[in-house]
Amino acid sequence: MRVYESEVPGVGRKFELELTGGKSAVVVVHHDGRCELFRRDGPDADGEKILDLKGEQANRLGSILEGAYFESVDVDSLSVPLGDAIIEWIEVVDDSPVAGTTLGESRIRTETGTSIIAIQRGEETISNPPPETGLEPGDLLVAVGTREEQAELDALVEPT
Amino acid sequence: MAAETTLLEVGVMFAAIGAVGFLAARFDLSPIPFYIVAGIALNESVLGAVDLPAVSASEFVVVGAELGIVFLLFFLGLEFNLDRLLADKERIGRAGVIDLVVNFGVGLALGVYLFGEPLPALLLAGVVYISSSAIITKSLLDLGWIANPESSPMLGVLVFEDLVIAVYLAVVVALVSGGGDAWSAARAIGVAFAFIALLLVLVAAGTTLFERLLDTPSSEYFILRAVGVTVLLAGAALAVGVSEAVAAFFVGMAFSATEYVHDLETALSSLRDVFAAVFFFWIGLVTDPFVVVEAAGVVAVMVVVTAPAKLLSGFFGGRIYALDDRRSLRVGLAMVTRGEFSLIIAAVALSGAGGTLAPETARTIYAAAVGYVLVMSALGTTLMGASGWFERFVTTGS
Repeated sequence: MRVYESEVPGVGRKFELELTGGKSAVVVVHHDGRCELFRRDGPDADGEKILDLKGEQANRLGSILEGAYFESVDVDSLSVPLGDAIIEWIEVVDDSPVAGTTLGESRIRTETGTSIIAIQRGEETISNPPPETGLEPGDLLVAVGTREEQAELDALVEPT
Repeated sequence: MAAETTLLEVGVMFAAIGAVGFLAARFDLSPIPFYIVAGIALNESVLGAVDLPAVSASEFVVVGAELGIVFLLFFLGLEFNLDRLLADKERIGRAGVIDLVVNFGVGLALGVYLFGEPLPALLLAGVVYISSSAIITKSLLDLGWIANPESSPMLGVLVFEDLVIAVYLAVVVALVSGGGDAWSAARAIGVAFAFIALLLVLVAAGTTLFERLLDTPSSEYFILRAVGVTVLLAGAALAVGVSEAVAAFFVGMAFSATEYVHDLETALSSLRDVFAAVFFFWIGLVTDPFVVVEAAGVVAVMVVVTAPAKLLSGFFGGRIYALDDRRSLRVGLAMVTRGEFSLIIAAVALSGAGGTLAPETARTIYAAAVGYVLVMSALGTTLMGASGWFERFVTTGS
């Protein structure tokens, strides 16, 4: 992936980003912050203007593309390190053995050693859920534990 | 003249400039020919002819036009990128030399044919050689060609032309303001190059000095210092008979090496826009439309000969950049556009009237150049817009 940069006298700078299949994206950044975005569908194609942005809009778009504005995450592989323990998210699916039981009945803590520190249910978050909290399909369990404990939790919650 | 009349006239001038700018925006055309026409419409020979109070070429307008030239060239120097030129010197050099040899050569031949003298021929060659950076760059953006490969040879050749025109102006201004005989011409050119050498030393050694000069948090002091240095050096150049435009170009180049390039562009661009418009208006104001009509034959010959010449040299410039015929043709069509620099050369010709140039010759060159720019600025933009129609003839089955 190469970027060619050149100066446009009196205007600003031009950046050309090679994309796959001979396509390229061209960005012209003006001195006043205005940004024009073009696409070219091949070496013989003419540039087609997609966007003409004011400086602020360009920065906002840029930060979205950069991932700084909203980082898309793969929930399945998300983990937060806490010494040996990590925090993981696991979803209770419809036919999970623990669906329809309470946190106490599911014996998650005694069987796997992980603690459920929160349950995400739709828009609401139940933090520090007591043992009598019911587990419903679609719940997202936030669990703390070592990798081994997390693996056991997976085995317990996943449908067999 | 009393200050109140002058102020009213200047007000009328700026109002006219603003009004025609509105028109240019409506039709999506370059405002440069509109400013010139506004100047022609309000001058002595048009408004004065129907006994209406005309706008006179008062001292303010003349000095304002002068400042317009200074700021135009200052920005050219500021944005002149020597590194770019050197990084691509092989291709820019070849495309630029073809452009120079073909068009300057055609202009010289035409000038000799029309006037039979070396100095008028040299002036005419400059007028027809230099394409318009301002109009071409704007059209490139408007048409979206900036994203295409054809923008490289265009911008490259324009940078080459900028450098040539700096040297050319230095020589021509020296010749025009010199005494006319070979000895005084040689002396004037000597002074010009000594001054340029001095400015180059300033460019090379003055970066730290300029950095220190501009190092202020106040935008007010910043712009005043920048304007102070630029106008002082340009004025000093003019006082010793060197082109103020060339001096401004090198001052701009000196500033371009500092970290304040961007701030300078932001701070001074509106100043440049105002005075550049005054310059184009002044060009029209001192143009006698009847002389332009008389010179219509000369203009027609210039257009018919030099439009194809640019088309050809631009096409080969595109080929040097390994572009296909269609894109090379676009380069040629774009380069046809002439504008601000041809007018600066026209102003130089006018300044030599009655001195090194016969008044008649100077007036003819001036009027022809104005007519020529009016035609070529519109023609070039039109050709670029209609490039699809031309491309059918060279489409190589892509």
